Amino acid sequence: MTAAPGVYVRGTARVGGKTVFGPLDLSAPGGEWTCILGPSGVGKTTLLACLAGTADGVVLEGAAGADDGRPLAGRVALMAQSDLLMPWLSALDNVLLGDRLRGDAPRAGRAGCLLGRMGLEGMEGRKPTALSGGQRQRVALARTLIEDRPVVLLDEPFSALDVARRAQMQELAADVLSGRTVVHVTHDPAEAARLGSRTLILTPTGLREITPPAAPLPPRRPDATETLALTGRLTRCLLDAA
Amino acid sequence: MPKTLTTETLPESAPEQSAPLNTVPLRRARRERILSFVMPVVMLCAAIGFWEFQVWYHEIPKYLIPAPSVIAQTLVTDGPSLMASAWFTVKLTFFSLLLAIIGGVILGALFALSRPVELSLFPFAVILQVTPVIAIAPLILIYVDSTFAALLICAWIVAFFPILSNTVIGLRSADHNLRDLFTLYNATPWQRLRYLLVPSALPYFMAALKVAGGLSLIGAVVAEFVAGAAGQNTGLASRIIESSFRSEIPRMFAALVLVSLLGIAIFLLTNWASRKVLGHWHESELQRES
Repeated sequence: MTAAPGVYVRGTARVGGKTVFGPLDLSAPGGEWTCILGPSGVGKTTLLACLAGTADGVVLEGAAGADDGRPLAGRVALMAQSDLLMPWLSALDNVLLGDRLRGDAPRAGRAGCLLGRMGLEGMEGRKPTALSGGQRQRVALARTLIEDRPVVLLDEPFSALDVARRAQMQELAADVLSGRTVVHVTHDPAEAARLGSRTLILTPTGLREITPPAAPLPPRRPDATETLALTGRLTRCLLDAA
Repeated sequence: MPKTLTTETLPESAPEQSAPLNTVPLRRARRERILSFVMPVVMLCAAIGFWEFQVWYHEIPKYLIPAPSVIAQTLVTDGPSLMASAWFTVKLTFFSLLLAIIGGVILGALFALSRPVELSLFPFAVILQVTPVIAIAPLILIYVDSTFAALLICAWIVAFFPILSNTVIGLRSADHNLRDLFTLYNATPWQRLRYLLVPSALPYFMAALKVAGGLSLIGAVVAEFVAGAAGQNTGLASRIIESSFRSEIPRMFAALVLVSLLGIAIFLLTNWASRKVLGHWHESELQRES
């Protein structure tokens, strides 16, 4: 993997003349984990779509891209709330989807290894319908990882999981995604407080940065004093914005 | 490409049961399975027995209602000629279904890919569908020289529409998040069609196939009834008409039994195909443990 570039979205996004977000200036520094919180319908997912290049029908008056000047296409991976697994493929084949679409030799060994690391050993042959929600999310994470892209966009990936599973997945993700530029959209202040090296709140009027404590470094313990304090501050900001 | 992504069944490791096996539900499941096989068979035999008994008890003459044993006897004695007719109907049904699949899928794909094509051709498809085939059949029989071809066209008209409309819906039903994912992976339009749109359309297509299978038999029989008056063909339907002219009621029943068996065979075949294609991933065909 090459050094992870920082990414930015500047300007205003409109769909059919209606403003979805902006004007704003979001920049996520390279190799860091940026969390974006905000009420529903404020354009968080559209923001990620602008970075991913999948924002069909969205007019961005401004720019989105990487700060190293090269195009982002092909350097972005996305993990969404719905796991986006193909129901007709086994877990292993889902992880190998990118290889197949590129026409590369499928790296079955590497995929199996990643699935094993996600605690899915022996489940490679199962179809998504035979996996639990948490297991499906872990398959999706394995697929995100095998792509080895420097920029990873997360769109509420853990919101469907129970508390313990979510904490586990957060730690796993923080571990395996370290060194990459992560833009993480979430509804959960506690999640942002655990994972973000930067935490931003997106409201209809724009972005607001809440500076996390310098120590401890993410992933912070869910019940550490600093995490709880940051959770409180983020919650207060969200309540004020509503 | 080294290995293709298809919806075919991949070799699957034996499903592991994490929960301890409970024998009571297992036994109940087995009894359920046996019952679901035994009950229909027993009831069917009982109904046939009742029919046989009633005919014998009331001494109903066989030109009114023949006993099942007489029908069975007719099936044997008239076997060769009836089988030839049945074969004709099978061919007719099979080819009309095949043409319906080919036509429906090609046209459906065109509709799904191009809005102008859909807008301009859809009215014709609807007209074909809503006009009763029995009303068009005489015209087709006049214009088309070969009786077989004319019958084929009639049966095709009936079977074609469900495949067309479901293919269109199916090809458009792919999850838009998955479409975005394919964009992220820089998939080519061909890959998008092959690996995303076609598998997403399969459940819709298989549902249409179940409907169209039955309809193609209905179309074949109806068309033969219309053509039967001309007496130029040898399908099962024309055997029924011919027998009715001659008041050979047992033969009518025998032909009817063969038509029913054919319908059942088509039903079982399309159901089996659907289970084979979708059974390992789609909700509609999944076997749930509970």
